[in-house]
Amino acid sequence: MSRYISFRDFDWVLLGFILVICCLGVMEIHSATVHTKFAGAHLRQVYWILGGLACMFAMSLVSYQILLERIHWFYIVALASLITVLLFGQKYLGARRWVKLPGGAHFQPSEWVKLILILAVAKYFADLHDKELSWSDIIKAGAIAGVPMLMVLRQPDLGTALTYLPIAVMGLFLGGLRFKQAAVIVLSGALLLPLGWHVLKPYQRDRLTSFMHPEADSQGSGYQVNQSLIAIGSGGIWGNSEGSQTHLAFLPVPQTDFIFAAFAEEHGFVGALGVMLLYFIVLMRLTQNAQTAPDRAGTFVVMGVVAVLSFHILVNIGMVVGFMPVTGIPLPLMSYGGSSVLFMFLALGIVMNVRMRRFVN
Amino acid sequence: MFVKGLSMSGTSSQRNNLRLYVLGAILFLWCTAICLRLVYLQVFRYGDFQQRAQHQQQRTTEVAAKRGLIYDRAGRELAMSIMVDSVFAVPSEIPDLAQTVSLVSHVTKSDAREVLAKCKAARTFCWVARKTDAETAARIRALNLRGIYFQKESKRFYPKRDLAAQVIGYVGTDDEGLSGIERGYDEKLRGKPGRMSISVDARRKYFGSVEKQPEAGENIVLTIDEKIQYIAERELDVAMQQTHARTGTVLVENPHTGEILALANRPTFNPNDTHAISPDVLKDHAVSDVFEPGSTFKLVTIAAALDEKLTRPNEMFDCQNGSIVINGLRIHDHKSFGVLSVGDILAHSSDVGAIKIALRLGEDRFYKYIRAFGFGQQTGIELPAETRGLTKPVNRWSKVSIGAISMGQEIGVTPLQLAGLVSTMANDGVWVAPRIVAATSGPRSKLQTVEFRPVTERRVIAPFTAAQMKQMMEGVVLHGTGRNANLDGYSAAGKTGTAQKFDPVTGKYSHTKFVASFAGFAPVNNPAVVVAVILDSPVAQHVYLQEGGWTAAPVFKRVAQQVLEYLHTPHDVELPASRQLLMARRQVKDQDLEEASPDRLGDSVEVADANPKPGQLVAGSGVVQAALRQPLSSEPPTQPNTEPAPASGPGSSDQAATSGTVVLEVEQGGIVVPSFVGKSVRSAIESAQDSGLDLDAVGSGVAREQSPVAGTHVAAGARVTVRFGR
Repeated sequence: MSRYISFRDFDWVLLGFILVICCLGVMEIHSATVHTKFAGAHLRQVYWILGGLACMFAMSLVSYQILLERIHWFYIVALASLITVLLFGQKYLGARRWVKLPGGAHFQPSEWVKLILILAVAKYFADLHDKELSWSDIIKAGAIAGVPMLMVLRQPDLGTALTYLPIAVMGLFLGGLRFKQAAVIVLSGALLLPLGWHVLKPYQRDRLTSFMHPEADSQGSGYQVNQSLIAIGSGGIWGNSEGSQTHLAFLPVPQTDFIFAAFAEEHGFVGALGVMLLYFIVLMRLTQNAQTAPDRAGTFVVMGVVAVLSFHILVNIGMVVGFMPVTGIPLPLMSYGGSSVLFMFLALGIVMNVRMRRFVN
Repeated sequence: MFVKGLSMSGTSSQRNNLRLYVLGAILFLWCTAICLRLVYLQVFRYGDFQQRAQHQQQRTTEVAAKRGLIYDRAGRELAMSIMVDSVFAVPSEIPDLAQTVSLVSHVTKSDAREVLAKCKAARTFCWVARKTDAETAARIRALNLRGIYFQKESKRFYPKRDLAAQVIGYVGTDDEGLSGIERGYDEKLRGKPGRMSISVDARRKYFGSVEKQPEAGENIVLTIDEKIQYIAERELDVAMQQTHARTGTVLVENPHTGEILALANRPTFNPNDTHAISPDVLKDHAVSDVFEPGSTFKLVTIAAALDEKLTRPNEMFDCQNGSIVINGLRIHDHKSFGVLSVGDILAHSSDVGAIKIALRLGEDRFYKYIRAFGFGQQTGIELPAETRGLTKPVNRWSKVSIGAISMGQEIGVTPLQLAGLVSTMANDGVWVAPRIVAATSGPRSKLQTVEFRPVTERRVIAPFTAAQMKQMMEGVVLHGTGRNANLDGYSAAGKTGTAQKFDPVTGKYSHTKFVASFAGFAPVNNPAVVVAVILDSPVAQHVYLQEGGWTAAPVFKRVAQQVLEYLHTPHDVELPASRQLLMARRQVKDQDLEEASPDRLGDSVEVADANPKPGQLVAGSGVVQAALRQPLSSEPPTQPNTEPAPASGPGSSDQAATSGTVVLEVEQGGIVVPSFVGKSVRSAIESAQDSGLDLDAVGSGVAREQSPVAGTHVAAGARVTVRFGR
């Protein structure tokens, strides 16, 4: 099989757009951290990107079909790693999200669990073929995503846990979920929502309340979004080259979760629109790849990546512009962070993998 | 490629494609929504957010401009601003607020609990100590505390302390003028504050500051002369000590220009020590006090009658042994006078005489003159809180009002208005609005002598009337109630006033409490200064010693004497003491003293001669005799004679004649006085020692004149007075 594949079929256009976004991210990380204790973060980000590119090429060489065949093992390992985190994870800011690997590196398993989940969900729906979805199918699919989700929630990491949701939703949506079934799920979800309120940690509740009333506590929990809005607003059309909101550290974590606000301040509406456009092109290109996938599983895999990526983008930007409550979801490809970058490039590796095999049977 | 895809059922593929489009559409809608949000945030609300960003990033604090200086007329600083350190805390940066505050409070000696409460209330900024002295600031700096910062602020400093305190006023903590010129000219002195924009980051770290330079305030030059002010204050202090008066005011004015040369009030305060100032010492009595002038107001009565040609200075009035009935009310004079001339009515301050003259004048004409002399209206002086005084219009006068007003009751005036009245006499009948601000100047422009032009002036009485008044007022000093105001070497004129204080409790005039006053000018013929002295409730052993002639007139004498000498006003009367010789030399400097004769000496007092005043001439001559003898003895001369001149009498011409022989006696001395003119103080002293003379150096710089003149024969060890000047 491998002799049929060739890097001529690699999606260089997609990679080009991805790298442009990464470059903008690196520039903004540099600008936001240059005078802070995080100075030099942009260089580390470049190393992560280079590492990610290597991983992506490596990933594209291993057939996704082989991965799908062994997915149950991967899934078990994923759950095991999440349990490890819960038991032995590094406690940081009240949450166990990281495991310390030998050699001093920190590893956040919840990121690559996402990847396993995409494959697992794809495998599950691909094996169902085209039959009508029964309720047991739906519950099984929900369980595939739900178990790791609950584990991540235990860490607690609501943001990452939520990113598992679109994978399942996308699988169900493309797997033939009927309107009635969707309505039942949404309704029961809505009924369970008040119950969920009690599960939330106090800081998470604060985030939700401050989302509803952002001006109520502009120095407390509403502070981040408020500062983000000020940063974006003061950018104007062409941007504010001084980027003072960012540089004066009013904007919280400008190199990670709020990098879009920092970018919008420095480059204005024009810059922000450009980034939105780039992301839109990338998502459209990925969707096109999904349509041209060689098999049903391939479509599901690529659309899973699209689901995660678009969820990340839309929730992050939605949060930054005040549409959504604050959740710790980074902006993929731009935000600083090794796990996030590696996941993105591994996911892209799988997408390339699917694309390169589109003429292969 | 599509083999597998085609193998999927057609409906499924179509459905999946449709669902992909739906997903794409949702994605697109979401992107559009975010883009619209961006448009809203970045385009429509750009200004708003930019303002909010600036608001939280920049702490704009006003930087007070350097307050303008206040100078006296010679450019000596009366009020200046120096830059000192203020200490403020940024509580959010301080790890242990209580400890930090207690440390700082220990240094500043302030209440730690109070400061701590203030700091707890403010997260970002809190003054800990304002305008500290250099030592305190250095000690706080040495503590090297986190979150404690320093800010330069300008602090008002009054180098002359309480000198002219009520005129200059003082400022509060924020440099806002609270009284006097500081308040009246606050806007000009204040200048335009600058803006200091400190960029603040989210952790309240100050870094980088863009400063808009403040514009310094304008400087103000007062007409006050520091030296004259000092003389007035010193003499007022002496008077306050002697008389235990409740309050006291001394005004020195140039009658021709209206310039106030000195304005002293007691009690007073030190404007550098703002905490110790109580409200009652702030009052500038010269412009804010209304008092019944008493007899000084007879000047108005008599001047008006003379100007209306209703009487003459030598017209005789029957003062009816000190009692008169007007409209059924009997008024008693303070003394039983018989028949007095108008001049004597003024000199001896006869109430009955003044009433009779006022009755001849009539209410309407009298009121016209009262207003014309500036009573009942503000003079317009550049001091805050000036009052108009109390002057009832004629239609509200009672039947006896004209009598009361003619002798200075039922009317309220300010010391400044009183000085204005006397100035009008001295200025040949023209009332000039008083001024205390000579000029204002921009902060950078050099201070220049600005020629003074009075803004308002009006003729009140004819020059001839004014001349008559002057002469009669001189009579007050020479042989009337104001004899204690007689000066050495200068003619003087004035009027005493002793107003019974109206007691609001009993509703009657007090017989023991007075407002004693004296307002006069000198020299008579070409008045250089007007001095008004007002003492409220002086205390003396006898009631009559509380009168203006005994309490206020001596103050006039001491102030006027020193001021005239300070101004180098030429003497117009013979001088006592060795300084008189300077006069003599000046008058006859080019002539051989051996030829000096009584006539020549007579010539030397030209001014007095030109305007014959026998008594004064004699008085001067008498003093000359005493003075000239003193240098001949080996003892140094005594202090200038402050005793009133000997009484006039028929022996005066004899005394004048003897003064000539005295001069001849001088020539028979043993040592020839060398010339000191042109020498420095040091070389003059050396030269005097070589000659065996005792040198009395006056002033500093280069010797300008000496007494006795070079070539004079004097006894060994005689004292030679040399005046130095620059």
